[in-house]
This record gives sequence, structure tokens and C-alpha cells, in this order.
Amino acid sequence: MMMNDQDSLVIAGVKLQSRMLLGTGRFPSPHVLQQALTASGAEVVTFAVRRVNLEEVEDDSVLQHLSGRHYTFLPNTSGANNAEEAVRIAKLARAAGLGSWIKVEISANPRTLLPDPIETLRATEQLVKEGFDVLPYTSDDPILCKRLEEAGAVAVMPGGSPIGSGLGIMNPYNLGLIIEEANVPIIVDAGIGSAADAAQAMELGASAVLLNSPVAKAKDPVAMALAMKLAIEAGRLSYLAGRIPKKRYASASSAPDDSLFASPAKGAL
Amino acid sequence: MAESTSKLDFQLYVITGANYHPGRSIVDVVEQALIGGADIVQLRDKTASKQDIRENAHKLRQLTRRYGVPLIINDHIDIALEADADGVHLGQDDLSLAEARQLLGPDRIIGISTHSIEQGLAAQAGGADYIGVGPVYPTGTKPGRAAVTTSYVQEAAAQIRIPFVAIGGITLGNVDTVIAAGANRVCAVSEIVGADDPAAVCRAFKARLNAAANHSQSPSRQGQSQGTSSPNDSQSSAAQPHDFAGTGVTVNGVAQRTTARTVWELICQHRLEDRRIVVELDGAIVVREEWSRTPIREGAAVELVHFVGGG
Repeated sequence: MMMNDQDSLVIAGVKLQSRMLLGTGRFPSPHVLQQALTASGAEVVTFAVRRVNLEEVEDDSVLQHLSGRHYTFLPNTSGANNAEEAVRIAKLARAAGLGSWIKVEISANPRTLLPDPIETLRATEQLVKEGFDVLPYTSDDPILCKRLEEAGAVAVMPGGSPIGSGLGIMNPYNLGLIIEEANVPIIVDAGIGSAADAAQAMELGASAVLLNSPVAKAKDPVAMALAMKLAIEAGRLSYLAGRIPKKRYASASSAPDDSLFASPAKGAL
Repeated sequence: MAESTSKLDFQLYVITGANYHPGRSIVDVVEQALIGGADIVQLRDKTASKQDIRENAHKLRQLTRRYGVPLIINDHIDIALEADADGVHLGQDDLSLAEARQLLGPDRIIGISTHSIEQGLAAQAGGADYIGVGPVYPTGTKPGRAAVTTSYVQEAAAQIRIPFVAIGGITLGNVDTVIAAGANRVCAVSEIVGADDPAAVCRAFKARLNAAANHSQSPSRQGQSQGTSSPNDSQSSAAQPHDFAGTGVTVNGVAQRTTARTVWELICQHRLEDRRIVVELDGAIVVREEWSRTPIREGAAVELVHFVGGG
């Protein structure tokens, strides 16, 4: 499609055709993960940094399943409780030679996994200083998102609702404000449940959507990956095409003039 | 290499003494001490030419950097600055603390030898970063100086607020008495650098210090009353250095003993040499090219991490 060819997304100098960022967790098998990745068309993949299990001989590393394809890697700092721990994880990730992108993820509450806004901002500031390309996962607060942008984030990633909840976009108004004010790409990260949610995010003007659970835990992850791809493309096109204003009452799409049953205009007698 | 958390965070202080290891190089002996867990090293040589001291300072600077351990130079401020040592150690008859601070700037460590609580308090008030408390026992490295016994250690424990390190004739045979008198930090010279296996002796010292540190959590700290026991008191010689086979390390949060001497050997022992992993040693990342050159020392905390599925 012509419009899509010109409408690429650039983050930290990397030009992306796909507006889906895909997480690699919780897939039923490495094979399904690979198939879903292909179906999604995602060019950015996320993963986590963890201790090697010294008791286990089997290699459970995710990178072995991603070889042979060209991806931009977005490791996350999940497991960090504060800025210092996030910086430490980021440095470990960068030392593996996978690039300088980092998703700051500092959860403050085990039940909601909602991000700690203060530590997220601190981590973003520190990591920018250390030369990382920082994509913070944050709450959908317009002021906080602005502060993260000012701190040097290359993209800001507000959540639609808690991670893995599938509740969709709980505060479209806030998200709209965030997008309106932003000078960096806004990526809706977390909370997407279905293709409709992804399309809604894009229609609100988000630059991209980061997904994991709704694909990995769908009954058919590969089909859902494709559904998400199409929804994100449809939502993006819809946003660019410009939706009509909402009205209280109907406005006929078939013009009533010259209807067969219309009463003739006065003076035609 | 390692980012040390504080300027002075040590338990076992090792001072060089070339006369105790004829035929072995100072770098070799000090490296063994570092492998055993020495936390801070002082280059002391009262007889060598200044040029020799300077050369050794540079060698030990390189070595201690690799282990992330501070290097202190005895007496010679100019050599300390030139070799970029972490600080100097001065005696009571050397340059004044104020003059030394002016020359060294605010960030370098200055340690002062003290032989009485009056001297200790004066050094503390004068801005010393730590003091030596001793000689606790008569010692060959300071012949003719009267031992201050553990009574000064007790006074220091009660009154000194900066780090103090007990020094002078301390051996594995009497270290428990010194610890019981209130020392959390000890220094040894001949017992370590004169040993056939300095690493094993250091490990044994560290084990005693750590055991005492853990024990001191409980209110009934034993041995307070033994503070003045005689220098020949060689109680509990049970823990000989060779009881400690291998190096005690923590890998991914689990304590283990390993015979690995380097990061590379440790990784091979866990059969991870072909995996894409990242290694962190005491909070600092060790790049793959450095694995075979990076030693594993007593008490090291190693993290071996990789990438797993996540969103």
C-alpha cells in the first residue's frame, strides 16, 4: 500500500516499517514464537535479562530462536525495583552486544505491576547519560510522559492498562493528550487484549503498539499475531485518513434530495 | 574494574614485606593474597631504593586495579601520586596529617599509625581516613616497639569512630583474641606474605573475621573479658588455612566453593562457554575477552545472566 511505504516510523535513527513491537515471553513453544514473529511482521523484539539456571543443562535462552533474522533488540529491565537496579540490568544487556536500546521497566506493585514513575524517570535520566537509547514503560500520565521525553527518552511507552490484563485502553483521554503533546514516538505498551484495542491505540494517534500476552496467550498465537498486524495497520490508516466528528443524531449518508417519494417542490405545479 | 561502594570498606589489610618471601616476586605474593581475599594492600619497604619502590608501586597499582582493591603507599606521598595509588600510610614521626592532606587532595586515603588512644583520637580529629592500632603483639617488622596489647584495641573499639585496623604480630593463632577485643579489621604482614600459600592464610583470616561479624549480631559477644590475654595465646588453632579447599564465591546468589581461578574456568565448570551470557563480577561487567585474565577471589559475587522471553 502506497501510504504505508512512506509512513515509516523512526526511533533512535532506526527506520521501521512495522508498527508492532513484539514481546517474546509466555509463548507455548519456541516454534510458535517463531511463527508468530513471522506473522506479526514485527521488527523490534523485547526480552528479559535473567540469571542463567545453573541446575539446568538445557539452554532456555531466547536469542537462539531469533538468529537468522534481522531484528532490533529491545531488552527490558523487568525485575528491577529501582533506578539503580534498572541501570545495572541495562548495562548487562548492552554488554551482550545487542545494541543500545533499553526498555525501562520498574514495577512497584506485584499485583498491578504498575510502573514506579519516580524510579522510571530517574532510570531514564541515568541511562540517557550513559548513552542508551531509552524507551521507558510508564503510566499514562501526560505530565510524566512529557518529563520522560525531556529526560531524553527516544520514545515513551505508556500502558493502556496493567501488563497482561487485556483490559485495553482504560484512559483514551489521557492517551490522546500524551500523543498530542509528544515530540517523540508514543508507543502503547501493556494492557492490549484484542485486535480492537490495538486498532484503537493507533486511531488515537499512537506511533506503535508493544504486545506480548495477547498474542502469546491467545488460543492461536500465530493467527492473533496476524490479526494484530492488520489491526495496527488499519488503525494507523484510519488515524491518517481522519475520522469524522461524532454527532448526537443521524446524518444521512444518502442525500434525501430527489427521493422518489419526496413531496415536489413548491412552484412546480 | 569493580566499583567499590565506599572509600574504605575492608576487613583484611595486607602489607608487603619483601624480606619474608626471598625468591618470590612481590607481585606474585600479593596476587596470592588478593586471591585469598585481601581487601586492601600497602606497599611498605623501609630498605629498598626509592627507584625500586617506585617500580613496585606501579606494578602493584596494575595488580590491585585488576582486583578492585585499594593500594596504599607507606611514607612516599610523591610515589603515591605518581603511581595513582589510593592513598598513603604515615607513621607518627612522618609528615603531619594536614601537610599530607594538602599534597594528596581531599579524595585520597590517609592512614596513620597510632600507639595509644590519645594518638588515635588526635589522628581521627585531624581527618585521617583510618588508623592503625598497634603493635598489638611484639613484631619483627617493628623491633623494639613495646606492644600495646589488646587493651588499646578495646579502647579504640569504644572511642574511635573512623575505621581502625589492628596490627602487629597478628597471626591465625591470636586473631580471635584481637577480634574479641573489638577489632573488625586486622592487618598482617609476615603471617601472610611469609606463608607458602598466602591465599590460604588470607582465606582463613577472612573466615575468622566473617564469623565474628556474623556472631556480633547477637548481644552476648563472647570473649570481651579475654581482652588482655597474652601474646602467646594460641587458642583455637583448629582452623588451619588448608582446611579451606577452593575459593568461596557466590554465583547467581548461591554460595559455592570452586577450584576455578579465573572467570573463564568458572564458566567452563558450569559448561557455559558456548552460551551467549554476560558476566558480572562484584557489580562490574567482565567482557568476554577478559574472562581468562580475570581472577576469582575469595568472597567474589558472580552473576551469570542471559536473555529469556519477556515483553
